[in-house]
Amino acid sequence: MASPAQQLPPGWTAEWDATHQRYLFIETTTGHTQWEPPVGNPEAPPQPQASPPPAQHSKRRQYAAGQTQAYYGGDALGAAPAQYPAPGAPQQQSQLFTPGLAAVEGQFSQQQGVVGGGQQSYYGEQQPEYINAPQQPAYPHHSPAQMGALADQFGQMNMGIKGPRLVTTNLLTVPPEPRELQQPPPEIVLPPGASVSPSPFSNADSSYQRCTLNAIPTTNALLNKSKLPLGLVLSPYRSLKEGEEQVPLVTDTVIARCRRCRTYINPYVQFIDGGNRWRCCMCSLSNEVPQLFDWDQVRNQPGDRWARPELNHAVVEFVAPTEYMVRPPQPAVYVFLIDVSHNAVQSGMVATATRTILENLERIPDENGRTRVALIAFDTSLYFFSVPAGGESSMLVVSDIDDIFLPKPTDLLVNLSESRAQLEALLGRLSDIFQDNHTIGSALGPALQAGFQLMNPIGGKIIALSSSLPSVGAGALKNREDPKILGTTKESGLLQAASPFYKTFAIECSRAQVCVDMFLFSSSYQDVATLACLPHYTAGQTYYYPAFNASRTEDALKFAHEFSEVLAQPIMLEAVMRIRASKNLRMSSFHGNFFVRSTDLLAMPAVPQDLSYAVEIQIEDTITAPFVVFQTAILHTTCYGERRIRVVTTALPTSSNLSEIFASADQVAIAGLLANKAVERSITHKLEDSRDALFNKLVEILQAYKASMTAAGAGASAQLAVSDNLKMLPVLILGLLKNVGIRQSAQISPDIRAYAQNLLTSLPCQLLIPYIYPTFYSLHNMPAECGTVGEHGVIMPPPLPLTSERLERHGLFLIEDGQTIFLWVGRDAVPQLIIDVFNLPSYEVLRGGKMTLPVLDNSFNQRVNAIVQKTREMRRGPYYPHLYVVKEDAEPLLRLWALSCLIQDRADVLPSYQQFISQLKDKVNGSGY
Amino acid sequence: MGGAGWLFLFAVLMAAGLLFTMVFFIIMFSDLECDYINPIDLCNKLNQFVLPEHIAHAFLCVLFLLCGQWIAFLINAPLLGFNVNKIRGGNHMYDATEIFRSLPSHKKESFIKLGFYLLSFFYYLYRMIVALIADSE
Ligand SMILES: [Zn+2]
Repeated sequence: MASPAQQLPPGWTAEWDATHQRYLFIETTTGHTQWEPPVGNPEAPPQPQASPPPAQHSKRRQYAAGQTQAYYGGDALGAAPAQYPAPGAPQQQSQLFTPGLAAVEGQFSQQQGVVGGGQQSYYGEQQPEYINAPQQPAYPHHSPAQMGALADQFGQMNMGIKGPRLVTTNLLTVPPEPRELQQPPPEIVLPPGASVSPSPFSNADSSYQRCTLNAIPTTNALLNKSKLPLGLVLSPYRSLKEGEEQVPLVTDTVIARCRRCRTYINPYVQFIDGGNRWRCCMCSLSNEVPQLFDWDQVRNQPGDRWARPELNHAVVEFVAPTEYMVRPPQPAVYVFLIDVSHNAVQSGMVATATRTILENLERIPDENGRTRVALIAFDTSLYFFSVPAGGESSMLVVSDIDDIFLPKPTDLLVNLSESRAQLEALLGRLSDIFQDNHTIGSALGPALQAGFQLMNPIGGKIIALSSSLPSVGAGALKNREDPKILGTTKESGLLQAASPFYKTFAIECSRAQVCVDMFLFSSSYQDVATLACLPHYTAGQTYYYPAFNASRTEDALKFAHEFSEVLAQPIMLEAVMRIRASKNLRMSSFHGNFFVRSTDLLAMPAVPQDLSYAVEIQIEDTITAPFVVFQTAILHTTCYGERRIRVVTTALPTSSNLSEIFASADQVAIAGLLANKAVERSITHKLEDSRDALFNKLVEILQAYKASMTAAGAGASAQLAVSDNLKMLPVLILGLLKNVGIRQSAQISPDIRAYAQNLLTSLPCQLLIPYIYPTFYSLHNMPAECGTVGEHGVIMPPPLPLTSERLERHGLFLIEDGQTIFLWVGRDAVPQLIIDVFNLPSYEVLRGGKMTLPVLDNSFNQRVNAIVQKTREMRRGPYYPHLYVVKEDAEPLLRLWALSCLIQDRADVLPSYQQFISQLKDKVNGSGY
Repeated sequence: MGGAGWLFLFAVLMAAGLLFTMVFFIIMFSDLECDYINPIDLCNKLNQFVLPEHIAHAFLCVLFLLCGQWIAFLINAPLLGFNVNKIRGGNHMYDATEIFRSLPSHKKESFIKLGFYLLSFFYYLYRMIVALIADSE
């Protein structure tokens, strides 16, 4: 360690610290202290004097880019590097440049001569040199990063502007560019020295938590003037793909929290008083640093404070000491409720489900052998299975469903690892037992009550699989589907819970730490809206497989895949989530799957991975701080019995400048928040109200922008201006308005609508954005490298704008929204294409519908398969989209469904993107802001 | 003391009772805001009082109607209609899952009812005294 004789830079002194037996270095002017010598140490915390802001900035930005790349799985940035225009191209031109189209045309003219049949050319394999010819720089040329760099330079020259620079775009002349949606949110430019750590991870990645505005307005008046919604969109428990940064764990149970506001220590606190105290970044209270904070308990020696994960990482997990436990950590409990009525057995659901559970017993989280499992089958009676350790399992039938009792106190809920063999045997013959069951009807409510009683003292997860409308016992529902009221103002009634049972039972479950997942399979009306209440308020999730039939391998495959992912994923048990924010910011309302237990405490009996939550934020008073902090903390028990706290911290600068606020608005987060609000409104009010509210919100934002950011002010304008970072917002809102969950239509069954609404409120941004703005690729003429494995996995073709103008009669296209994949085959597709892809002689022989692509020995087939595969794997979450083959001139319903994904087209009463933009323009100009 | 006197004496007592119920509701709502009570307990407690409150008010209205006290009845008719409409829509009970979202509107409703019961309390008192004076003359 350093000696007092060491040369210190001017303004520094060294002080011997008796308790830690080492020197403490103090900067006399600021009072900043550190254990490391202030010079020549790259690990030293940021010092305005020691490391000038320019270097620090560029460093942070560089890291941020790398980080984004890591979280976006590479495919986002690496998807089509060569397709972007050269950096030298002027801005305006780059926005109008549509690489797909250019490629198509170019190739078209080149291949015409080769095949001779005019339209006969279909894919560019023969001419790979053409596609590879225009070699362009590998790094995409996108404006946010450039703007960020510009802003950095600006920030150094001129202290006035620090955030991303505002660039105005005219929506009338700039068509939507799908690739924009894969860009990271506007850069967060914090004042220098805000963070005690130079680490690139000191601010939460947008996949964990993102704010609709990356610069927080200082007053509520300013926020109202911008009309932008303020809120957080978070998925704190997201899954990690291979190679992604793990969440660091603090194991020494030294947890520093603010005495007053209970904020966890994070990179944005300030150390004062010679490093003995820290100032809370939320309420400015000075707190003592815990004694063991600088002690390395593993090696039993003084540790390096600046190496502690909670001071370097914004997403961090603490092992909680016993004060954070109400009771010893519970084991993970899984109770399966399996519908064995006639419908369920006939559809093959029972066989598929039991086989999937059997095959995945291994994968159910059970690191320390404490996990417990129970099986209950039900039709109009309940069937319990007693699985005594070492003995033969037996079935116990309970026909009295009015007053549920457990037929046996023990052996119903058994230890997974101890009773593994018996469970396997039972699962193996379960579907045979009910092979000839002809009972019709479902006692889902009583089954839920029985499952609840079984696990009541412990808590855990109920997984209910049901194939029909609950018809007997508690929670029985009536078929209230009425085609006459679809599309009318009464429709929202069908989206509300029909019976109070599912809400009151959900509350009971939430109290007993029981979470419910619903898997629904019915081919007729099943009242998804009511049944989904249970997962909604117990923090679970609903999965819906309409008209499931396992004799179609695709159906069985999809369900088995998703079910096994749900079984295998680690879950957080008995969790509570609280979101804290800096002074004068208040969480005003919460959206997502949980039960709000007090004004700011969300109860989640079990948290599945990759669910999204949205929170609206209110500015209560003028914010004077240069930056604000949002901190989400989830106290939970891991599925292997450890009490932990996951903390996600986001720091954002404040701004009193309206242009900065517009320039830092995050269109993806805004769309996520508005989707949640729209769904809520459609249930409490009317579907029409929620559509109007969405449209009016967009008009308000554009009016506010026009009035305060453009020269036109209040007068009429020939333009429809919005900031460059918000230019995809109109098309996202249009996508929401056309989404099955909200769309104006008299054809959508209430079950399908309710499920779509469930997805809209629970999907994280990564899945939500394709769900409202699907991805559209042209496959027959994709560049040669697409579908082959590149640096970041399979290279995807460049996405096209969602308009049927891009569909060609001889082409092969792929449209996907993360839940469904459509493979569109044009009617003039050449036989060679059909042979290569489907192994069929001609277009006429090809049948549309769900299918599995054959794997053939030709490179085009393998590339298409690779793209389909990648589409299924590239996002988080358990979803495994169906693949539908859509023929241009057959199956009109399927064709319409696929075309409804092309949201920039006009469909029925819904406007095309052009019409929508001109409606917006009229509204913005008309009402005179 | 004549019929009208007794009627309004009863009404005064009822109005006082309803007044206290509303004060109780408002106290409970502010307890919820301060996290002194959880939404489940709150809804369980308040829901016990919702129907009795509505029935008491409806009973008073019917009494006014039967006794031919048209003005008193007309004053109460809007609230009666409002309550009946809520019960018919099935949303008269407090829902613990939505309580935080609807808290502002519940509070507003309770305050308006509080004001209404307060005014009607004084009105009944006045009518009672008028009736008593008329009796004694
Ligand atoms: Zn504090």
